[in-house]
Amino acid sequence: MTAPSGITVRCPDPAVRVALEAWLAGLRLSVQARLLLDVVVSDQEPEPLGQALFEQPEMRFGLGPQGRGLRVVWDHATALAELPAGATMASVRLSPGAVARLDRCTRTFLLAVVILLLRRVGWYHLHAATAIDPGGQGWLFTGNAHVGKSTTAALLATSGWQIGTDDAAFLERVADRILVHTAHAPIALREGGRRLLAKAGGIVLPDRGKVGFWPEDLGAVWTPLVSPDIVIFPTVGRTRTTAQPIARAEAIAELVRWSAWVMLESDLAQAHLDVLTQLAGQARCYRVTLGRDLFARPNRLIELVT
Amino acid sequence: MSERYLRHPDLRLADVEGDGVVLHLGTRRYFSVSESGLALLQALESPCTVSELVTVLLERYEVTPEQAEESVLQFLETCRTADLLAPEAGG
Repeated sequence: MTAPSGITVRCPDPAVRVALEAWLAGLRLSVQARLLLDVVVSDQEPEPLGQALFEQPEMRFGLGPQGRGLRVVWDHATALAELPAGATMASVRLSPGAVARLDRCTRTFLLAVVILLLRRVGWYHLHAATAIDPGGQGWLFTGNAHVGKSTTAALLATSGWQIGTDDAAFLERVADRILVHTAHAPIALREGGRRLLAKAGGIVLPDRGKVGFWPEDLGAVWTPLVSPDIVIFPTVGRTRTTAQPIARAEAIAELVRWSAWVMLESDLAQAHLDVLTQLAGQARCYRVTLGRDLFARPNRLIELVT
Repeated sequence: MSERYLRHPDLRLADVEGDGVVLHLGTRRYFSVSESGLALLQALESPCTVSELVTVLLERYEVTPEQAEESVLQFLETCRTADLLAPEAGG
């Protein structure tokens, strides 16, 4: 069965297949291309990865068989994915332990596999929050996990902005623009962010130490697509919010940092870099120090870049 | 001077209105380069001698052949240090 996302799950275990289809449907990714996750549940130990090309917490990425394609190993509970070179499908082997932790498995390991498949059809992942301001300008906030993306997204959600994501954005070239697709997911706040926003409730995300809020629960309309006019490289400060425009080459170097998959699969790297380059030319790019004053006046961000 | 140079096959370039960004997929590092550095790296997609690289600069900039050659030699040395040249280049 093909999920609404365009990503098909094939799995002989009906319970796992249904759970994975529900996860993909919940992401609401509107990818047009057809992608396949071919999943089996097995307690067979994965072959050694060899030298890792790339590592993330809980995951390692290496070359596939005969040095072609990619192999991804999840270390939290054993799981393996192989993506043959150029293919839009992944063969996934989940251990019973991985199935027992399917929520974490989808959010980390299988999301990474989907990110790699999407890259092969021209969707390039970037660690970023996305939003549309009340005047219709598209915004993208990119950076690591501690620069205020989620708190800013939550704050803007309470202030009349549309919100796409607080973390996972996918860049796609459509005609002469770079557009940003987002998955539908809760904005995940640490305790500090939640306290600053004075928000009660939310969904407890225990293994992340965070509390999630759907954009809609914060009063925002969720937007699956943003056309970025402004790109922000934020840091958290203690004083007033400030913005400094940066040159295009500097912006590209920053985008490369937060779209690290650009370094994988050499035949895709130039197209990926070209999309980052076009984005840095399409949007006005700023380094922004996010101050506490934003909580009183969130739209000060708009004034700073106007 | 007949030695030929070639950029590393793991390099990917972004051309940005007067500047450039270079990714090295092998070392997973990235660099900013000047406009002239980008022009030289673009030329080095095919094997080039120093004199061919000097010609690249002379066609773009108002510099003397001596200044262009000095710039090319310095650039090639920087590239060697940063592993931006193909290991099998030369000859």
